Amino acid sequence: MATKRKNSPLNGLLANGSMDIPFFLLLIVIVSVGLVMLFSASYTYSYYNRDGDSTYIFRRQIIFTVLGLVGMYVVSRIRYEYFKVFAIIGAVVSVGLLLLVLVLPEYKPGFKRWINLGFTTFQPSEIAKIGLILILAFLLDKDYKGVTGKIPSKSSIANTIYDFTDGRLVLYKSTTSVIAYGMLIIVFAGLVYLENHLSGTVLMLAIGIVMLFLGEVKYKWFVFAGGVVLIAVIVLVANPTILQDYMGERITAWLDKDFDPTGVRWQTNNSLYAIGSGGFLGTGLGQSKQKHLYVSEPQNDFIFAIVCEELGFIGAAAIIVLFALLVYRGIYIGLRAKDRFGALLSMGIAFQIGIQVALNIAVVSDLIPNTGISLPFFSAGGTSIFILLCEMGMLLSISRSMRKKG
Amino acid sequence: MNKKPTKNMSIRSHIAFLGFALFLLVLIGNLFWLQIVKGEEYRLKAERNQLSDTIVNAHRGTIYDSNMKVIAQSASAWLVYINPSKITTDEQKSLLVNYFTENFELNVETIEKKVNKNTSGYEKIVGQISNDEKIALQAFIKEHKDQKLNMIVGIDPDTKRYYPLGSFASTVVGFTGSGDTGRAGIELKYNEELTGKAGRIITAQNALAGAMPNDYETTYDAEQGHSLVLTIDEVIQYYLEQQLEQAVEENNAKYAYGIVMDVKTGAILGMTTKPDYDLNEPYTITSSKVLEEIEALQDEKEKSNAKLNAQYAQWRNRAISDAYDPGSVFKVFVAAAALEEGIINTESTYHCTGSIKVANYFQHCFHNTAHGTQTIAKALPNSCNTYFITLGQRMGKEMFFKYFEGFGFTEATGIDLPAEATPVAGKSYYPVEKMGIAELSSASFGQTFQITPIQVITAVSSLGNGGKLMQPYVVSKVLDENGNLVSETTPTMRRQVISEKTADLMCSLMEEVCISGTAKNAYVAGYHISGKTGTSEKLQVPGKNIASFAGFAPANDPQIAVLVAIDEPQGGSTTGGGVAAPIAGRIFENIMAYLNIDPQYSDEEMAKATVTAPNLVGVNADTVKSKASGFTVKVIGNGDKVISQIPSAKQSMPKGGIIVVYTEENAEKQTATVPNLTNLTIAEANRIAVNSGFNIKVAGTTQGGEVLSYKQNIPAGATYEQGTVITVYFRSSVNVAD
Repeated sequence: MATKRKNSPLNGLLANGSMDIPFFLLLIVIVSVGLVMLFSASYTYSYYNRDGDSTYIFRRQIIFTVLGLVGMYVVSRIRYEYFKVFAIIGAVVSVGLLLLVLVLPEYKPGFKRWINLGFTTFQPSEIAKIGLILILAFLLDKDYKGVTGKIPSKSSIANTIYDFTDGRLVLYKSTTSVIAYGMLIIVFAGLVYLENHLSGTVLMLAIGIVMLFLGEVKYKWFVFAGGVVLIAVIVLVANPTILQDYMGERITAWLDKDFDPTGVRWQTNNSLYAIGSGGFLGTGLGQSKQKHLYVSEPQNDFIFAIVCEELGFIGAAAIIVLFALLVYRGIYIGLRAKDRFGALLSMGIAFQIGIQVALNIAVVSDLIPNTGISLPFFSAGGTSIFILLCEMGMLLSISRSMRKKG
Repeated sequence: MNKKPTKNMSIRSHIAFLGFALFLLVLIGNLFWLQIVKGEEYRLKAERNQLSDTIVNAHRGTIYDSNMKVIAQSASAWLVYINPSKITTDEQKSLLVNYFTENFELNVETIEKKVNKNTSGYEKIVGQISNDEKIALQAFIKEHKDQKLNMIVGIDPDTKRYYPLGSFASTVVGFTGSGDTGRAGIELKYNEELTGKAGRIITAQNALAGAMPNDYETTYDAEQGHSLVLTIDEVIQYYLEQQLEQAVEENNAKYAYGIVMDVKTGAILGMTTKPDYDLNEPYTITSSKVLEEIEALQDEKEKSNAKLNAQYAQWRNRAISDAYDPGSVFKVFVAAAALEEGIINTESTYHCTGSIKVANYFQHCFHNTAHGTQTIAKALPNSCNTYFITLGQRMGKEMFFKYFEGFGFTEATGIDLPAEATPVAGKSYYPVEKMGIAELSSASFGQTFQITPIQVITAVSSLGNGGKLMQPYVVSKVLDENGNLVSETTPTMRRQVISEKTADLMCSLMEEVCISGTAKNAYVAGYHISGKTGTSEKLQVPGKNIASFAGFAPANDPQIAVLVAIDEPQGGSTTGGGVAAPIAGRIFENIMAYLNIDPQYSDEEMAKATVTAPNLVGVNADTVKSKASGFTVKVIGNGDKVISQIPSAKQSMPKGGIIVVYTEENAEKQTATVPNLTNLTIAEANRIAVNSGFNIKVAGTTQGGEVLSYKQNIPAGATYEQGTVITVYFRSSVNVAD
């Protein structure tokens, strides 16, 4: 190894082996369909908001997609072990950005989600998602025995408790680690919550919980977490007002279908009209009427409503199935990864996509409150698609060193 | 560290995926619910809420008379609407409410209600406003730019129906109601052709801008309505209406209705019911008498009912919707049938004693007159009831009914107008199996059954055109928006009722009716009118008549058929011969002159014919009297030569009439008061007129004894220039009963 490294400094950095073709093809299909649908959904909005330039949003998305695909390829060529280097850095940068966005001037009044870079904006939470996956994959891999086994914790707090209780209360590593990871997740999710970003918070929590689950944290913790989540949901649904104004209103609007039809429920109602208008076969590509009208910003979070309208139930279901296959292929790659870090990273990224898709569609079809969550590879957003494709690059990098047999 | 993924991890990842997949299944199930089960509901909601679907009314076709003169036309107008959801301030509201109520005579409450509907995106304020009103509204919107009224108020094209000729042929043409749809007459019958197909502009109504770029409009072009060319001739219609309007007034009648038909084709050249209404104001009651009666009512409900009834009454086209006992007019059909079947010939005689016993009671001739020995050539002019009763009885009910049916009295004529009355067996007439001797006898002189004026004139025309029963029609051509022919009505013969020979015989028999018979008041020198009068008792209104005349001219080549009916005439004469015939005569005279049908005078008529005034201008004052021998010349002024004269050269005037000549440029015009020239013989009228310095022109009947004047075209008491020719109408008061 050492001699090889001398010969070529990149030798150890580059990933060898071929990438997983089924995953790659699935991804390309999804990205292509996403682009076509984005064009269809965005041109009216673009026309009105960009002085008659109907293709403005689409052109930007194309540019970022191309950049993203280049990024994806570059990342996929890096041996994934090197991603571990970014685990800690990534976590620190993520938290830093999440803090920074809170103090920067608001890009959109009332929301602290965006950092304005001038030529584009980006959401630190996009970085934070992959940051959280990376750090958890790293930690859960490193601390595998502690998390799964029965090793007493060596930390000072554990020792103090041990001494104080005369050894009757032993704090195991499985407990302390989980609490530590839990705290980490809560820090991430909490910061996103302060951005006034409810769905981002939910997504962050969901990603964290899935990572812990895959990292073989003991089942009892999930029973506990499930209980906490259930209680939280019940409390929030019963008293939406304890949340910040904006979020509480969204929950109220979800519960009461007649609430403020020209205001808070406007987008959701029109989304439902769009979905319903699609029927079984859809109105045809480009034929959505709702996108010209009242589905506000149809190119963003509610793009799936336009998909449903134009492609009908058949098209919408097909796209959901495509995403399910993508997620499954991500798990498949993970289970065949060389090591646990690769497995956790791969599956984490796959589930991040999956959860985001599921939550987005649930919002669009009014199954959960409208909280602002985008549809991966479909919704407009330059940095979002760039980061997503780079994440796909990570997954493809892992697939290059896949074991051929489980 | 760096260990392979464990079996455990595999299990857990599959559990997680299963959970994820289940969630996706729920999503798909929900989409199924939304798209398939509730899809239609949402689709409709979407369409209702988000699309601005503007109906672009097709331009309603124009209605022309046969000379392409516009009778009905749609003009561009504008429709005002608001988008209440864009109203944000009370100031905007009050501005709008004030403007609309002040300028469009709208109710404050209704406008306030519309302005306050903040969930609505479209509320119509007012339609059919003029271009000026639209410009004023636009100026108002601009003036209040700071209030953003331009985001709230919208103006769309609309149309308004105009009838440039007002009440002209109103009961035939009809009018349009809300939504520009025909409510009566041709407007109703041809509504589909006239309307065309409305277009639509479907516009994306986005929440950002009021203005909508064309890129997002879907336009379905309107198919413009077709235009109609009527068979009605403006001039003929005008004569008909003028005469019947006068008839209602002079006879204090309830209604008068008349039809002018092209004998050969069945085309309606004129049709009217008086009193009628202004097509531009169809809801305004025209009869001041009726209006007074309505106003006198106390109860509001009664009042509104009475008003409604009066409106329907004035809209009614009685020439096709009212059925009446035709009376003696019907005798022409009995005569035609009897001649056709050989029951009689022109030589056959019958002796009238003034009455005849039918079953167990007596039927009488009018005034019990015993007409003595009658041939058909005498019985028809005399309108001898007993003759026709006998004729009917000799034919028998089967034969009678065969012709009753043949002349079209058991069916509607099929004229292209709405609300034609359809005969009903057992109700409007006795079917053959229910007809007894009494019914047959009465039917033979036109009683016991009701038929419509359009049926009568159609059947009468068949006598004039060689026996062909035609289908009457009022629309001759349908044109598209560019004036290209879409379709043209070809005259339709329903059947040959009688032979051409019998029909020609009827023409001359009926001409005699207008020369010496009951219809002699319809006589116009030179025009050979064939006709028959009728006086039908209204069984429902005892003592009241319908006086009618039906006939055609010229007798040797019939072209124009005229039917006139005066409903409930009051005053001196109430018979068809006394009331209806003179009106028909004047109508014939006007129409024949208009159609350039040259009069063919008999010798006797020639003698009475008027002469033309000689040209006296430039003649020496001294010799003017000798130059105009046979005239009375009155010279005014001291000039040497005649500068002007009245009547002017070549104007027709009576022989021996007066000519006033002026010899000075500025001589004061000699005027005189027009004398009363009615109730005089021709000679008396002429003498009085000449004494006052006027000439008369004899019009109407001059034959048949006891000819007296009854009307003059310049009223007595008016001041007119001397020498003016006054037309005086004469009629006979002998043998015009019935």
